[in-house]
Amino acid sequence: QWATIRIERGVKKPQRQMLKTPAANGIIERDETPMEEEIARLNSDDFQFSDVLYFCRKGFEAIVEDEVTQRFSSEELLSWNLLTRTNVNFHYISLRLTIVWVIGVVVRYCFLLPLRITLATIGIMSMIVGTTLVGQLPNSSVKNYLSEVVHLTCSRILVRALSGTICYHNKENRPKKGGICVANHTSPIDAIILTTDGCYAMVGQVHGGLMGVIQRAMVKACPHVWFERSEIKDRHLVTERLREHVADKSKLPILIFPEGTCINNTSVMMFKKGSFEIGGTIYPVAIKYDPQFGDAFWNSSKYNIVSYLLRIMTSWAIVCNVWYLPPMVREKDEDAVQFANRVKSAIAHRGGLTELPWDGGLKRAKVKDTFREEQQKNYSRMLVRNGSIG
Amino acid sequence: GSPGELNPPIPSLLSPTVTSEQIEHLHRRFKQLSQDQLTIRKENFDSIPDLEFNPIRGKIVHAFFDKRNLRQASDGLADEINFEDFLTIMSYFRPIEMNMDEEQLDRFRKEKLKFLFHMYDSDHDGKITLQEYRNVVEELLSGNPHLEKESARSIADGAMMEAASICVGQMGPDQVYEGITFEDFLKMWQGIDIETKMHVRFLNMETIAHCY
Repeated sequence: QWATIRIERGVKKPQRQMLKTPAANGIIERDETPMEEEIARLNSDDFQFSDVLYFCRKGFEAIVEDEVTQRFSSEELLSWNLLTRTNVNFHYISLRLTIVWVIGVVVRYCFLLPLRITLATIGIMSMIVGTTLVGQLPNSSVKNYLSEVVHLTCSRILVRALSGTICYHNKENRPKKGGICVANHTSPIDAIILTTDGCYAMVGQVHGGLMGVIQRAMVKACPHVWFERSEIKDRHLVTERLREHVADKSKLPILIFPEGTCINNTSVMMFKKGSFEIGGTIYPVAIKYDPQFGDAFWNSSKYNIVSYLLRIMTSWAIVCNVWYLPPMVREKDEDAVQFANRVKSAIAHRGGLTELPWDGGLKRAKVKDTFREEQQKNYSRMLVRNGSIG
Repeated sequence: GSPGELNPPIPSLLSPTVTSEQIEHLHRRFKQLSQDQLTIRKENFDSIPDLEFNPIRGKIVHAFFDKRNLRQASDGLADEINFEDFLTIMSYFRPIEMNMDEEQLDRFRKEKLKFLFHMYDSDHDGKITLQEYRNVVEELLSGNPHLEKESARSIADGAMMEAASICVGQMGPDQVYEGITFEDFLKMWQGIDIETKMHVRFLNMETIAHCY
């Protein structure tokens, strides 16, 4: 699935061998031996010039390609799926292929796109109208039932509008009321995909425009948690409100994306610990898109939401797998960060994604100094140990 | 960028061993680092999170702008580099090929070692003095508050003495070891297999299915 490029190892070996790197998805081969081992190998006794070699090479590898930045651009595919946007090296291969491609473009833009836009409009309209109507009713079980029906139906229409094919696994682990559902984040569509199979209380910022209308309508039918922009900054307020919501067992489970930003679905980045401090049961969900049919990743620095939606609607389809994982609770001697990492591993493992300890916020910000010092301390500790022997 | 964009003329030293796809990859990376400008400056390297961890980050970035590495006649530091210069520096890290003969291998090795030598020799005088070596050790150990400056010094001094004994043999009490020249440097690295350790391997592209 990855666009990895295979290499022939030729160094001082008489015959050529094919090297396959497991789960590699980059352009260079990396040596993953830990620092201690590598340096021990390079020099048997004291600090010598060769230590520099190790860091030099690591530095160059980072310059050619670093693990983090590549997560913020779309995945490359091994075989072309007739969408020029996913094939960076589009060269003219043959007339037949180009004709097939042109037909593909015509089908996607002139046939699929209008259909999808119509469906999407119908979906959104019925969502707004439906939730407003249901909102008029007094609070009762009938209202809850109807609101569920409205939400589910409209989500299904919207998913059809994107030609989405979703496969749910382990439905017995579906999130229950009063819990918190966490998932990895690839695009704004994630929320729609999850609500097709169950109702959740969304958490998010209040927007203006069409989004705002939808949000206000949804809140009438069942309680979601929308924050004003100013309230988001106040972490205590946010935690308090979420805690209130969770404590009320009759309310729907909250849906949270702890990465905080869209990642390109090849890896799971650091989960922010805020969501894990609220308490309650966590229901992890892993979402993995199949890149063959369309790229669901939203590169928010490159495309705005409208062009993103346009790209989605002119892809072949959105195919994804959703795995519901068994619920997890924070253990007594675990702190929020460890718990967050545990949940993250479970999700990455299930979805077949690699795990990265990095913060999704690195898309826009720089590395925290504390991380850097940690690494430097490791190296110098090792060195002093070696140095003191010699 | 648009597919099929033409790159600047490729330096001849790269041509037999680097494919055009690899160059395209590097070009894309260059554009990412330079934020779509034609040249890179030192500040552009700040955007790489993995590099932040590296204790000799400063020296690595410096190496990109070092005119000696850029094979320019003059000396000193360049302010900015273009894609051709970027490729020149990356070429120091290309892996060796099966079909290289002894002479090529030797030249290859010398080039890589020269690159490392320039990293140590910060005042460009062709010798690594004790002070320069100490600088490198300190940088490698930087950031550790528990490490005394003295330990760093003693490590550096010890290594320098060992270097002296390899290069010059037993020294008399009046002899002063001025510094490690490039020839001495070469001697020290004998026996260390630099060709297999100082490279960045590209994974080779399997051609997309041919349709005929």
